[in-house]
Amino acid sequence: MESQIILILFGGFLFLLFIGAPITVALGVSTLISFLYLDENPIKFVQIAFTSVGSFPLMALPAFILAGALMEASGLSRRLINVAESFAGPFTGGMSAATVFACLFFGAISGSGPATTAAVGMLMIPAMIDRGYGRSFSSAITASSGGLGIVIPPSIPLIIFGIAALGMPAPPAAVEEFGQFQTVSIPKLFIAGFMPAFLIAGSLLAMNYILAKKHGYSGSAKGWSARQIWCELYRGFWALMAPVVILGGIYSGFFTPTEAAIVAIFYTVVVGAFIYRELSWQKLFAALETTTWLTGRVLLIMFTATVFGRLLVENQIPAVIADGMLSVTENIYVIWTLVIFFLLFVGMFMETLATILILVPVMLPVAYSVGIDPIHFGVVMVCCLGIGFQTPPLGENLFIASGISNISIEKISLAALPFAFINTVAIFIIAFVPEISLWLPRFFGY
Amino acid sequence: KNFKIAVGDSGGSSQEATGIGFVNALEELSGGKHTGTLFLNGQLGSEQDTVNDAAIGTLDMSLLAINNITPFSPSVGVFTLPYVILSLEDAETLTNGPIGQELTENTINDAGVRIVAWTYTGFRVLTNSKKPVKSVADLKGLVIRVPKNEIMIDTYKAWGISPTPMAWSETFAGLQTKVVDGQDNPYTTINAMKFYEVQKYVTNIRYIFSIEPLIISEQVFQELSAEDQAIVLEAGKAATAASATFLREKEAEIKQILLENGMEISDPENNEEEFITLATEAVWPKFYDSIGGIEKMNAVLTAIGRDPVSE
Amino acid sequence: MTKFWYVIDNIESYICRTLLAIFVCLLFLQVVVRTLFDFSFSWVEELSIYMFVWFVFFGASYAAKMGAHNRVTFQFKFLPPGAIKYIEAFADLFWVFFNVYFVYLSIDFIFNKMNRFQSSQTLGFHLSWVYIVLPIAFALMTFRVLQVNYKKIIKGEDMRDPDAIDLDEVRAEAAELELEKA
Ligand code: NA
Ligand code: NA
Repeated sequence: MESQIILILFGGFLFLLFIGAPITVALGVSTLISFLYLDENPIKFVQIAFTSVGSFPLMALPAFILAGALMEASGLSRRLINVAESFAGPFTGGMSAATVFACLFFGAISGSGPATTAAVGMLMIPAMIDRGYGRSFSSAITASSGGLGIVIPPSIPLIIFGIAALGMPAPPAAVEEFGQFQTVSIPKLFIAGFMPAFLIAGSLLAMNYILAKKHGYSGSAKGWSARQIWCELYRGFWALMAPVVILGGIYSGFFTPTEAAIVAIFYTVVVGAFIYRELSWQKLFAALETTTWLTGRVLLIMFTATVFGRLLVENQIPAVIADGMLSVTENIYVIWTLVIFFLLFVGMFMETLATILILVPVMLPVAYSVGIDPIHFGVVMVCCLGIGFQTPPLGENLFIASGISNISIEKISLAALPFAFINTVAIFIIAFVPEISLWLPRFFGY
Repeated sequence: KNFKIAVGDSGGSSQEATGIGFVNALEELSGGKHTGTLFLNGQLGSEQDTVNDAAIGTLDMSLLAINNITPFSPSVGVFTLPYVILSLEDAETLTNGPIGQELTENTINDAGVRIVAWTYTGFRVLTNSKKPVKSVADLKGLVIRVPKNEIMIDTYKAWGISPTPMAWSETFAGLQTKVVDGQDNPYTTINAMKFYEVQKYVTNIRYIFSIEPLIISEQVFQELSAEDQAIVLEAGKAATAASATFLREKEAEIKQILLENGMEISDPENNEEEFITLATEAVWPKFYDSIGGIEKMNAVLTAIGRDPVSE
Repeated sequence: MTKFWYVIDNIESYICRTLLAIFVCLLFLQVVVRTLFDFSFSWVEELSIYMFVWFVFFGASYAAKMGAHNRVTFQFKFLPPGAIKYIEAFADLFWVFFNVYFVYLSIDFIFNKMNRFQSSQTLGFHLSWVYIVLPIAFALMTFRVLQVNYKKIIKGEDMRDPDAIDLDEVRAEAAELELEKA
């Protein structure tokens, strides 16, 4: 019975994906057919449609998308990047290091990888080329750091992971063996993402230094321009305050993440309309529209992925998968390795948020049953999918970088390989040393 | 038949104890013909969702807190009012007597689910990190976390403080970072959540006795043969008895654990009289309508030998 | 196309933008009132969640209209573009099947199966008024799926993925910024 259901559910799902059905349809139809096969009434879909979407924490998703779109439209993003650029200075590989920092900065307000790449790349790639950096190198480092945007909070993938994981508690057998697992919450996930993001950024900076040295990309002769730094800091003041408002609000316990995003929206509107005077009604409506279809698309998957997950749970399939996996090996490092390579592979051609929604019900129980902390697992998962942005054939970041620099995808991919390699090493370190993710949340009492 | 049983709480909870008691009795009484699988931790959806699922017949059974049935069948709300139940014996008298029978009839008619067993999870006792609380006056200056529940909020207001509604998932962190000073929950929960790490003082108030029924889909129940129906009801009685035993044994054991972890346990002064008067006078009258009138309230009070109230 | 038909053709977008603007403002109001006056409206959270649910399902229909629902397409890399739209149209038949079935289920649920006491805790109305969005939005989405396939196959229009960042646009914008600097 179980094996037939697994065949219908996963077989149907993969078949539908293969013939080009939208991911949400593949999930919904394969689940519906499994229900009919089991002779169960699928009427519970209706209630799940309502309850899977109708939750307060989930409202953080449109709120952050809207906040990000408005920051872009109001010129806040551009000013943040200018600040990073002004710090480039006289170092070897200084400009490309500034690109990494710009992605870190910008990532703190934007929730999305491709958005980070586009916003940063537009300014930094031409600037790097100007100073004699190779075109493919410039594109590659931008595409590779764009993934930081989804690891550094606020992160839309971490929100989605948090929501999916909340509905996926630890199986009793795992609790018996490893004790209670900590509860998943979005602020906790956010704070857990910090140190891993800095580790990845550090690894990129190291690789950047090595390559820049090799290529002879030295700093500008002029050295630091204190005046320019001061100037950009002054111009970017209101933009720099945005992450402070968002993160400070969340961690002082003042706001929930949803409320922080709401406050960020109003903050951006005020700054964009009255201080920077770049926000028009038209741009405001466009931002609302983008938020509409992006949210509708992701959360329709939320619904179908939830019915998919419910069918798995009711037929105790995650336990079967976990047992299968554990019968191969019980070594946590081997399991991490399999998980990481699988996620890197899937991240190449599947959209990130959909991937999270589909894989959490399948993989989180496996993680629990070998004693992996859910917060740690979420951080590693999002890091892996962040790298998926820069890997062909569907590395969205690569496409964008290629558009800006006029260099073919193949060339950029090749130039991005060292960065992808060092990122992967960083991910293994993050996976094998849970404290990198878990120390900070504990320190702050989460 | 293998009954799918949704359970809201995790392993080690009173709910699970009732569930295990039910499944064991069911297997024994049916000679192995029937059994049940527990899906712990709300894996089959939130407690409220499971009521609808059972009503439609897409879920067999569910174990859930009684306040999650109230929206679907308001008359069971009588058990959620403060100080209606003052002891485990009261709870047993009410649930196993004609009152319990009447509420079961109501849930069948209103919500399409039948209560087959009752979990007694115990009184929600008050804990805090600041000072021993023995009187209503001691509450002053404490920030107490409550769930988003009208009755609980009203009760604390009747005692003169404004409690802070906070989601369950944020509560432990809230107590740790001292955003809130205290909370109330049954002993089993306090122990399971290791609240002794962040709380010091326990007060044995009895304003709410947690009751968590086991419901079966009426549709599923009617599809069973008369003989099987009898077996399910009998297994339900065994589960109810198992729950009472579990509570008696567990609570004593847990109090010991809490003391060993440095908590101080005290009783309210004057047998809780001041707490009781303030709460019942302020809160009860607001809910007479929703539970079906003041007569229903008086029927409950008479059944446990207390004086009836008047408008 | 007249203004009227334009609005009708983008009806989900108008509904969603209105809902989004309202619930964002409501939540902001809640934050302000709580921070300044230490007070909160009990109904704001619930009402905004219901508006959010409406927003999501109409938004999903709008995404269908834009052809924005993500598909995995790398396996089509070596197929002629003409063939892909027929394969995707075939795949969309499953979508239509799912939606029609779901519309039937949700109508059955709302009108026959819902508990009569199940009301909003703070606002009092019966929850069927919220659930009603499901049959409406999924029916609308089905229409959008058919509309998109009609445009692609009969009219031969090229529906581009709204996600795909327009490279020419990016390039032009980058060049413009360069000019500004120089
Ligand atoms: Na971010
Ligand atoms: Na990807």
